[in-house]
Amino acid sequence: MLEIHPSYPALASVAEKYPTHRGSLFQTYNDILLAQQWRDVQVIDLGKCKRGALQGRRPRTAADADLLLHIVPCSLAESISLAWYDAEYVFAALVNPPSIYLAVVSDDSSIVYYKLSSGIVKPSI
Amino acid sequence: MEKRLFWERESVQKQVDSGAKKMTSEEIREKRRADRKQFKLDRAAAIAKVAAEAETIFETEGRVVVPALFGPEIPSGATWKPKTAESELALEQESGSPENAKSKGEDEGEGEEEEEPLEDMEHLQLTLPEAFFLAWNFDCLTILDPETDEPLSLPEIWITFQQIYLAPPIPTLPTPELQLDNPFLIHYAVYHHYRSLGWVVKNGLKFCVDYLLYKRGPVFTHAEFAIVVCPVYEDPQDQEVSITNLQNASPFTWSWLSTINRANSQVMKTLILTYVTIPARSRLSREMLNTPACFAHYSVREVIVRRFIPARMRD
Repeated sequence: MLEIHPSYPALASVAEKYPTHRGSLFQTYNDILLAQQWRDVQVIDLGKCKRGALQGRRPRTAADADLLLHIVPCSLAESISLAWYDAEYVFAALVNPPSIYLAVVSDDSSIVYYKLSSGIVKPSI
Repeated sequence: MEKRLFWERESVQKQVDSGAKKMTSEEIREKRRADRKQFKLDRAAAIAKVAAEAETIFETEGRVVVPALFGPEIPSGATWKPKTAESELALEQESGSPENAKSKGEDEGEGEEEEEPLEDMEHLQLTLPEAFFLAWNFDCLTILDPETDEPLSLPEIWITFQQIYLAPPIPTLPTPELQLDNPFLIHYAVYHHYRSLGWVVKNGLKFCVDYLLYKRGPVFTHAEFAIVVCPVYEDPQDQEVSITNLQNASPFTWSWLSTINRANSQVMKTLILTYVTIPARSRLSREMLNTPACFAHYSVREVIVRRFIPARMRD
């Protein structure tokens, strides 16, 4: 069913490689590209972490429109540990960005985004 | 449903010429916010003007006038009117040239008719309890087996939905037998309970809870209640031998409860702890789980949690 969706070709290689995370990657990709209307959206393969991730830029009208941002989708059923900050894991695989967005996808396709930053960061107003 | 309509309406909107009055709900919301912002600016300007007048009166005449924060001079929610599009266009036409405005409208209409019809990219996603509720109670949903494309019968759907939660990590192992504490059963019991009482039950992911109860739906008003499902085993022995690690089946920490309660009070929602009692394995036969008749043995009870501040809540 997923395969006939117009967004599938862009995700195909990563989705087939990591079928467990296929659903959350698909939902997040559609939300980012179509609902949030981000630009330059690309799918990344985080080899060692055995999952896919997304990168892109916010719409032109946004405050930090030129920053390249990273999103890692995951499912509500998963347990995520803070080991993501380890030298060998997600942050490292994305070449240590200042922050990443964690997209938590639930059964009914609701998505909640959390921002994970390295160290203590003041929240923006 | 709302999400699907949003996309369709937005794409249709882009094809309708700019002269039409139709707006998508997102546009209505943005317009309402922009109007509210403008109202606040106008009101602040009026208050400043009244204060400035009071100042000049004091300087010139020496008498003291207390500047009012409301009154005939100052717009209120009831009296303020936004500048409408027609009046703005009228202002433009007075100053600019009316012919340019008209021909621009016509060109846009023609240009948009030539665009191709937009593809519908949205899908409606139902959770397993929602799908079973529709199939069982209203008989308005057909569920197909993804491999054979054949419709599943109701008993097959019932068994399959439970087995999804029991699926072993290694596919070659046999699926374990059906369990009374299957998350599908617990969540279906809660979903069915509130749906049949007339509530619209939605996912509570955004507020750290299991479900949100709406009177009519998310589109109409905010949810009033936030549900956290707390399964309870009638027989504690069952919990010890259980292969399922049910969320919230063991008492959660006080700090966690406090956090959820505070987060929901902040957004004006009442927290409800919904206790679902799982019947004892010893009491029921193995065949019980083959039909929804097993729900006769489950019970659903609610406890409302509200923070009590003795100093402030004396009545």
